[in-house]
Amino acid sequence: MSSEINRRIVDARGSFCPGPITELFKAYREAREGDVLELLATDPAAKSDVQAWAKKTGSEVMGIVEEQGYIRIIIKVVKKAR
Amino acid sequence: MSPKNVLIIGSGTGGILTANVLSKILREKIKAGSLKITLISENNRHYFQPANLDVAFRGADPSRYFREVSSLVKPKIDLIYDRATFIDLSNRKVKLANRGPVSYDYLVIATGSVAEPEAISGLADASLNFHSSPENALEIWRAINKINSGKILVVIAGVPHKCPPSPNEAAFLLDEYFRKRGIREKVEIKFITPYGRAYPAHGISEVVEELFSERNIEVVTFFNLESVDHRRRKVYSYEGEEHAYDLLISVPPHFGAPVVRSSGIGDRQGWVTTDKNDMTVLDYDDAYAIGDATNIPISKSGVVAHLESSVVAYNIASELYGSGDRYGYNGRINCPMEVGFKKAIFINGTYDSPPRRQVPSMVKYLMKRLFGRFYWNVLSGDFEWMFNLYFGEIKYMLKTRGLTLHEGSRQVGKEAETVQEELH
Repeated sequence: MSSEINRRIVDARGSFCPGPITELFKAYREAREGDVLELLATDPAAKSDVQAWAKKTGSEVMGIVEEQGYIRIIIKVVKKAR
Repeated sequence: MSPKNVLIIGSGTGGILTANVLSKILREKIKAGSLKITLISENNRHYFQPANLDVAFRGADPSRYFREVSSLVKPKIDLIYDRATFIDLSNRKVKLANRGPVSYDYLVIATGSVAEPEAISGLADASLNFHSSPENALEIWRAINKINSGKILVVIAGVPHKCPPSPNEAAFLLDEYFRKRGIREKVEIKFITPYGRAYPAHGISEVVEELFSERNIEVVTFFNLESVDHRRRKVYSYEGEEHAYDLLISVPPHFGAPVVRSSGIGDRQGWVTTDKNDMTVLDYDDAYAIGDATNIPISKSGVVAHLESSVVAYNIASELYGSGDRYGYNGRINCPMEVGFKKAIFINGTYDSPPRRQVPSMVKYLMKRLFGRFYWNVLSGDFEWMFNLYFGEIKYMLKTRGLTLHEGSRQVGKEAETVQEELH
């Protein structure tokens, strides 16, 4: 089994409906344990949404960076339940 | 010299409107023989898909909600009933199943999305849905008529999907249906979503959650469906949760059209990588994608396909006239959500403005119903002026050389002003 860690950028800037977390779900379904996902979002709600989602899924929010006009949220997929 | 060909694949809302708007604004070129518009339609019929809700939860007759595609396109459009099998962007050709390839000068990919319950283990056998066809929607109506008690789950099995408000509407209409039958207290309705709240946009979710609470509709959040065991009648999530059901209504995972996937021009789910402003396909200036087919992070809905079709039609016209104008889509969404008992809200926003909280009203419900009746006329493209008036800015100028193409309908946005200042 490959132990390679993938890093994927998920650009959801400009998405309010259905929202940036939609893009994160898509990436999460395809991710493997250990993968790192970087979500770029302009929706200010993304920060709290991702934190709540990470708590639920046992993922780790490694960092939240305020960029010029958007936020970058770095998430590590620690474990997938199934 | 042979005429230039604008080829449109797909006869959904976006495909038909693009063809009709182009035929209207480029009529002089078509008349002169320097341009033709070709529409490839896989199906003879065009369905008004929002009516699937009425079929599934009100028992409406599906035969009322379709028209022959040939009756919806303007006479000057070359309509070909066939299935596109391969899109060759580099060589400007589209292969068809039953005849030779068609070459193009400009391409519009309006191939929509496909609901595929088969993508999740057990889902196809276990669940009913109203996203794949009116016939399947009718199965829901038949099933709920047989239910006198039990647990009904409405589960969003994949995102993105067509019409974001539709799962909420399903729960509201189920509640209304069982209340009218007088057996609501015997039926448990659970709304299961991968999002952290009842609707992804905050303001709208507040309204929905208040109403769900009043109507005794339970909300389960952060549930990403992993599999269904129909023998045990249970759904399981990636997050490790499970819920039992007697009737499972799902919003199946959606994917881009088979032709996009087989042509290798989409992402992993088959969505075409598209510029969210001018709607061009990544790395191509002669190919556009609109509606459900794109990967842009916005609602997959008829109104989006509609508004994008106008942007694409004007960009192609601008190229053909060499005006140098580029139009952009501003991300406008305007989706109605029925909340039961003849009330509705509208989910309205753009790339820059999130949808705001609204008060449900009968007027909004009537607007939704009225649009359903007016829909077939809207597809003609003859009422774009009305949508321009209603929304104020469907499209804006990305850049301009200052030449005029359609002065009357032009809406100059901030970006255009900036470019014009630089030019002056």
